[in-house]
Amino acid sequence: MEPGETRHSLSQLRRGAVEYCVLALLRDRERYGFELVRKLSEVDGLVTSEGTIYPLLTRLRRDRLVTTFWRESESGPPRRYYELTDGGREALAGFTQEWTRFRDGVDGLLRQEGSG
Amino acid sequence: MSTAHTNALVSDYLRRLDRAAAALPRSRRTELVAEIREHIDDALREADASDEVTVRNVLERLGPPEEIAAAAGPARAAASGRAGVLEIAALVALAVPVVGWIVGIPLLVLSRAWSTREKVIGSFVSVVPCLLIGFLYAGIGAGETTSTEVGAATEPGGAGLGPLEVMTLGVIYLSGLASSVYLAVHLRRTREPRTLEV
Repeated sequence: MEPGETRHSLSQLRRGAVEYCVLALLRDRERYGFELVRKLSEVDGLVTSEGTIYPLLTRLRRDRLVTTFWRESESGPPRRYYELTDGGREALAGFTQEWTRFRDGVDGLLRQEGSG
Repeated sequence: MSTAHTNALVSDYLRRLDRAAAALPRSRRTELVAEIREHIDDALREADASDEVTVRNVLERLGPPEEIAAAAGPARAAASGRAGVLEIAALVALAVPVVGWIVGIPLLVLSRAWSTREKVIGSFVSVVPCLLIGFLYAGIGAGETTSTEVGAATEPGGAGLGPLEVMTLGVIYLSGLASSVYLAVHLRRTREPRTLEV
């Protein structure tokens, strides 16, 4: 596989995983956009362009996995907060289960290849 | 706190984003630009600075505006990228006055390569001049039926086109062409960011 292709499939993986990372960040409490972006950026290699998180948030809202509301802010104008819906909670639980299986499977194969 | 120069950096960035997001429905486009603007404000407030280096870093981390706009594009972008035949058919049809419009406008409406705003402008540019001329003629006709109209009808040699008729046909023809050109220009511009997202 060409190096470019590796980068492409990694970016596909990342794109798929990021939306569940957003849902995971919302599991315990609501957060506003900038806060979510900063949290995601702290994970190395997860987000390459912070700006692309905003369209993703719009998509999650459209798919009814999150809802939004406005809240006054102490340091500036009101902020839009994101909150998990029941559907979002279900999607997150489903993904968590699948992801663990997927990760263990891939890890197992990668290790096998490495040692063999 | 911020200088005119850093303000210009931010507004340039937002303008690029707005342009790159031209294919989105108006409300989503406005919302996206507002969200990115808020992000920049939040980031600068957090950094408690707005010197050029800080601003450049914030914009750098956001990524190219074209990439953000592409991520906001329709999820099934790959399918719409293939729909070139529909768009070309619509453009060719719209360039042919009246008959072409009957075919072209439905094709235009079906296509996903243009925003609703562009579709409306495209249709109006082609049809409205023709309608206006129609009304104008109806007006003249109603006012002058007894004098000129009768006179013209009785003259058998009147097959040649007068300057008014030539101008009318010209306007009708050009409006179709203008609509087609307008849409072609906007098609190319909206295609570009779309190919980034696959």
